Amino acid sequence: MMALSCLTRALRSMTLSQPALLSSQGVAQTKLAPHVTGVVLNQCRGFLTTASLKQNKTQWKLREKYTIKPIGMKKTGGRDYTGKVRTHGIGGGHKQKYRMIDFQRLRYEPTKVDQPFDEKVVEVRYDPCRSANIAMVAGGSRMRWIIATENMQPGDVIKTSAVIGRMAVSANEGDAYPLGALPVGSLVNNLEIQPGKGSEYIRAAGTSGVLLRKVNGTAIIQLPSKQQVQVLETCMVTVGRVSNIDHNKRIIGKAGRNRWLGIRPSSGLWQRKGGWAGRKIKPLPPMKVYVNLPSISAS
Amino acid sequence: MFPETAQCLKAAAPLFSQTVLLKDLSRLSTHGGGSHLQARRHLSISRCLTTKVRPVRTPRERVEIPGLEAVTYGEKMHYVPGLSKPFHPQWERSYKDPGHYRSPPAHEMPLFKDRSCFVFNQRTSALEGVLQALWLTKTKLIPSLPPQLLSLSENPANQIPDQDERVQNAIKHARFWDTTEERPGKERYSNTMMVNLLHLCATLQSSHPAIGRRIQAEKCSLATTWKRGEDLFQIRGQNGLLHTCMDPLPEVSGKQEVSDTADHVLETFYPVSPTINLQKVNVYKEEINCSGFRDDYPYPHAHTLFFLEGADANCKLRPDQFRAKMLMFTFGNALVRAQKLYGPQRVLDRPVTVQAVGTNGRIFQFMVFQLNTTDLSGDDGIKNQVWLDEDVELYDFAKVRPLIKRKQVKVPAGLAGYKPEVFSKFLSLYLHGAV
Repeated sequence: MMALSCLTRALRSMTLSQPALLSSQGVAQTKLAPHVTGVVLNQCRGFLTTASLKQNKTQWKLREKYTIKPIGMKKTGGRDYTGKVRTHGIGGGHKQKYRMIDFQRLRYEPTKVDQPFDEKVVEVRYDPCRSANIAMVAGGSRMRWIIATENMQPGDVIKTSAVIGRMAVSANEGDAYPLGALPVGSLVNNLEIQPGKGSEYIRAAGTSGVLLRKVNGTAIIQLPSKQQVQVLETCMVTVGRVSNIDHNKRIIGKAGRNRWLGIRPSSGLWQRKGGWAGRKIKPLPPMKVYVNLPSISAS
Repeated sequence: MFPETAQCLKAAAPLFSQTVLLKDLSRLSTHGGGSHLQARRHLSISRCLTTKVRPVRTPRERVEIPGLEAVTYGEKMHYVPGLSKPFHPQWERSYKDPGHYRSPPAHEMPLFKDRSCFVFNQRTSALEGVLQALWLTKTKLIPSLPPQLLSLSENPANQIPDQDERVQNAIKHARFWDTTEERPGKERYSNTMMVNLLHLCATLQSSHPAIGRRIQAEKCSLATTWKRGEDLFQIRGQNGLLHTCMDPLPEVSGKQEVSDTADHVLETFYPVSPTINLQKVNVYKEEINCSGFRDDYPYPHAHTLFFLEGADANCKLRPDQFRAKMLMFTFGNALVRAQKLYGPQRVLDRPVTVQAVGTNGRIFQFMVFQLNTTDLSGDDGIKNQVWLDEDVELYDFAKVRPLIKRKQVKVPAGLAGYKPEVFSKFLSLYLHGAV
């Protein structure tokens, strides 16, 4: 409706003898200021017509309220907001529905803040959007999707607690505790770098990190890439390995299966291999510290 | 609607009329993502359309100081740097137009309450199924139908002449003959089968005149409230098919059994709370108690409820959830009746009995619910009772084309595996109270 009125106004302006204004808006406004606002004016700018402009807006990601219902996704094909290919080799593939995963395991219900709670696993299923399996858990009056751990079965009860006691907790697989409450050497996944932010590390199928040591208020974890990371001990983490451990042993078998996964063939152009190719053996990068430690100032 | 277009259009306000601009902006922004499925010609003023969209910061809050009024550029009709933006109050229609009505937010509604209420409706899929429904209605489950009901149909006086043949004809009509296409769809045949079976039962009216004191009703709205612990619960919804009667159903279990239910402990399902999957509302009518009929309706007592699995196309319930829905709505009808007759929150001298039958066209669930008490706030005391016969198959197969594997007929075409006892249960539920 709005577009139609713009179009008719523009076309009407083309038929009149007055030239269309192409200068800046300020000139237009000062020139037309004496006119009354209610009058439809003759001048109109030249108009652009471009189709398919809604494609560069990800409208399906705008939902704020959490739901367990799968949401329809729109594939980008590796294109960014300008419409050009930014990442090659992405496109096609089976249609997928996005299930909103709750990565912040320590999310209390509105009425029961700061109390450790249990949740029951209702269903463990395949998720097309990631390599790991996902589990629907129900606790209190709400249900949510989380990343499933290795031996999670429907009917299990998993615990989430934010209490750090003096003694380390003997954690069962699938439970979520802060790093300070776990014994050193335990396998962990879904690691939070900053407390309360939600887990961003160790979420892929079959991965697990190792809690190496705990140093006054912080904990050092080895990520699956052997990189070591120092985070606050109040960061939440789940115990065990992520589900679908045989994911890296699967055989694709044919090119078609890669296409079903949305992976397009790479460029066939032969490129001379330079310094970027080949196996590199480097020392481990230094440990990444995500804690603002007080600096030692010489007094 | 692009925010950039909105900004450009707002800046070019003198070019267009003000009211058109605001109306279109607001209308287009409420559409959200709805109308953007097709490519639309985007007619706009010339500027780049593919820039990154900056996040819109909330505009500065406007502070009104009574003594100091801001000097705006509203009178000048054009923007002047240094003067403040004129404030225009939201235009509201002076008359009521139902085509353009925006409902106020929840906390401004007249029926808003601070205490939230959990509503069970026809589309609720309870996670724990029958267990959750039993806890919510404070009921004890008995896994088979009461024996005095089953003995009703064994009496030859209560049987229909040529019963088996007529029932098989009814099934064949519903499953095979009721369409011009190859086979009728599930919603159609389950509905037709229910209607046919009821018609067969109603042919006994000549020998059982009490059947004439009943009437069918469809899609009457049910609404009732009760408290359980600290939470408020409501059932709201439309009953599918309801048989009501002039006289109440006789009670099924005696006083001794009713008082024995006081020892029964309700099963809890920690860590899941019983309010899971129920719709939480803050806007509701308190103490609503509506059976769908007025008080002077000649057939006030609910006799049997009939549930079809395919009634709601959008809502597919698993068998456990379907039974839970049957239980909740049967309980709702019984509670409405009891609260109207005896008032709230007490143990009933004369329990209210309601029956329910649920089907998907082949598999039937029979339920007899007896409401012994409306005092549901505590977990102890006398409980209600439900006799549930679940997953009884009326027939095994009703195939249009025979199932042939390796040139051998595994399942012949037509009706196969008919079980006559299921219809006798149906008939005994129908005749309960009329014999």
